[in-house]
Amino acid sequence: MSAIDRVTDPFERFTQAHASRMASLVVVTVLAFLWLPIGVLVFMSFADGGVLSFPPDELTLRWYRVFLSNDAALDAIVTTLTISVPATGITVALSTMIAYAVDRYVFPGRNWLQLLSTLPIIVPLVVTGVAMVLFFNGTLGLPDYVSVVIAHVIRTIPFATLVILPTFMSFDRGLEEASKDLGADEFETFRQVTLPNVFPGVVAGGLLAFTLSFNEFVYTYFVKGSGDPTLPVYIWNQIRYNVTPEVNVISVVFLGVAVSMVLAAVSLTRVDLIARR
Amino acid sequence: MPEPSRSDDGGAAESVDEGTAESVDGRTTESGGELATDGGSVSGVDGRVSGLTTYLRERPRLRTLAIAGPPYGLLVVFFAIPLLAMLVVSFQADQIGGAWTLRNYTDFLTSDTYLTVVWRTFLISVQVTAIVAAVGYALAYSIVRFSRRTTLLLLLVILPFWTSYIIRMYAWINILQSDGVLDSVLNLVGLPALSLLYTDTAVLIGFTYVWLPLAVLPFYASLTNLDGDLIEASKDLGAGPIRTFLSVTLPMTVNGVVTGVVLVFIPTFGSFITPRLLGGTNNVMIGMVIENQFKSAFNWPFGAAIGMVISVVVVALLLLATRLGGGLFGTGGEES
Repeated sequence: MSAIDRVTDPFERFTQAHASRMASLVVVTVLAFLWLPIGVLVFMSFADGGVLSFPPDELTLRWYRVFLSNDAALDAIVTTLTISVPATGITVALSTMIAYAVDRYVFPGRNWLQLLSTLPIIVPLVVTGVAMVLFFNGTLGLPDYVSVVIAHVIRTIPFATLVILPTFMSFDRGLEEASKDLGADEFETFRQVTLPNVFPGVVAGGLLAFTLSFNEFVYTYFVKGSGDPTLPVYIWNQIRYNVTPEVNVISVVFLGVAVSMVLAAVSLTRVDLIARR
Repeated sequence: MPEPSRSDDGGAAESVDEGTAESVDGRTTESGGELATDGGSVSGVDGRVSGLTTYLRERPRLRTLAIAGPPYGLLVVFFAIPLLAMLVVSFQADQIGGAWTLRNYTDFLTSDTYLTVVWRTFLISVQVTAIVAAVGYALAYSIVRFSRRTTLLLLLVILPFWTSYIIRMYAWINILQSDGVLDSVLNLVGLPALSLLYTDTAVLIGFTYVWLPLAVLPFYASLTNLDGDLIEASKDLGAGPIRTFLSVTLPMTVNGVVTGVVLVFIPTFGSFITPRLLGGTNNVMIGMVIENQFKSAFNWPFGAAIGMVISVVVVALLLLATRLGGGLFGTGGEES
């Protein structure tokens, strides 16, 4: 036994004996780290005293009532939806086209298409945000609303494609051959055979795109002028200038949207597809 | 506009389909016509669409263009070109269309204040990446090798990632502020308050919190793909668990580690939300300087130049990562 082995041996034996317990400890600790802050948010939304007092003296639904009678916050939700809904529709259509093209056809620039549809994840948001405000608002002079919707589409395409593309690739092409042998043309085949089969993946991609768009802040913050804020921008202003307990309630709204959307998406497809990035 | 250049280089577009397309051709057109005549207005539309698909099927290049073109065009016009526009604007003085100049860069690179900010941003990013990589890998390893309910656990890890970034920062403001949740709990057990908000520690905690789920995913993927027999073999040959980990598991999952590191380092380096909300006046990061140029100083070209500085760091890191073998662009479809 070498000198190094003599030193490391006790550690090796300790790890051997307690590996499973150590793993449980890691999982429990990290999950607590990830979920306790969210628990605190939900709990504090019922706190009577407002943001600065913990533990609260009393629990109340007061801030929920304040939120529901606050036109600025509700307007912000409507503003967000008027952006997120069309952006999600456009993203789903385009991501499906990307997936179809990349899966079916070999064409020059195919790798570039894949790279371009992945890059918005990798380029820092602040860099793309700056580039967009310079080009959309500075060079093209697009209206605010159009700029923001396009920005949201760019933001969500990579994630939707990441979910939709594997769905296309794992689809059994034999079914399409059968459909064509039976006399259906390409469009009929797509509508009656391909689409029903890839539909769950497409919907999952759409749900995730919507979640991202609903939460989108950085691009919106740069591209959007001073007009009606989206909900994330509204919250940002609240947190930076005058925190009210209502922010806790809005946080719960965000949580509700995200959790329900992602759970729905997961039930439609495999977790690890969404988990890819 | 990408379209002309694309049809130019469409020379090699697939010709495989052409034979089959012709053989089915007559039949498809017929059925399209049938639908159009006997089926009312809806079928009329169908018939026209069928006619269109037939038309496109005879022209595979055009068909590919019709499907790949729109998303391609959108990504080029609204993502790639803006990045190039940023490069151009960064060489202009004071405003878009200003006189050509190198001043934005020389001002930035000769300013001790800005260079200090860049250096600090780099240090914070390195620390965050190291913490997230260590914790994230430990978590992924524990889930893959020791847990049965992997799907549920993975879901619990990624769910927080899909909630709003700002909300997650706000949660930590609640916890870390003086007399906040953390201090109150410490008080209850008789420990002194920490008042962590607006410190380096708060920034590190905030970043670790938001990026941990993101990093676990590539770690998880590479550990799942690892052949368990290799670990058995190592143990049969007498290596303990630590030795096995260091000489088998870790080297075999290096791709996942590199991907995770890149996915954490890059957004941290460009971030402005976390340092703005959780950091103090001595936690200024480069992203905040950019935000400032666009939200209060209104010197867009200077902001563009800083954006380019960040991009250079990012590109350098990506090149390094590609060298080390991260599967960053492996989104599938590469095998054909």
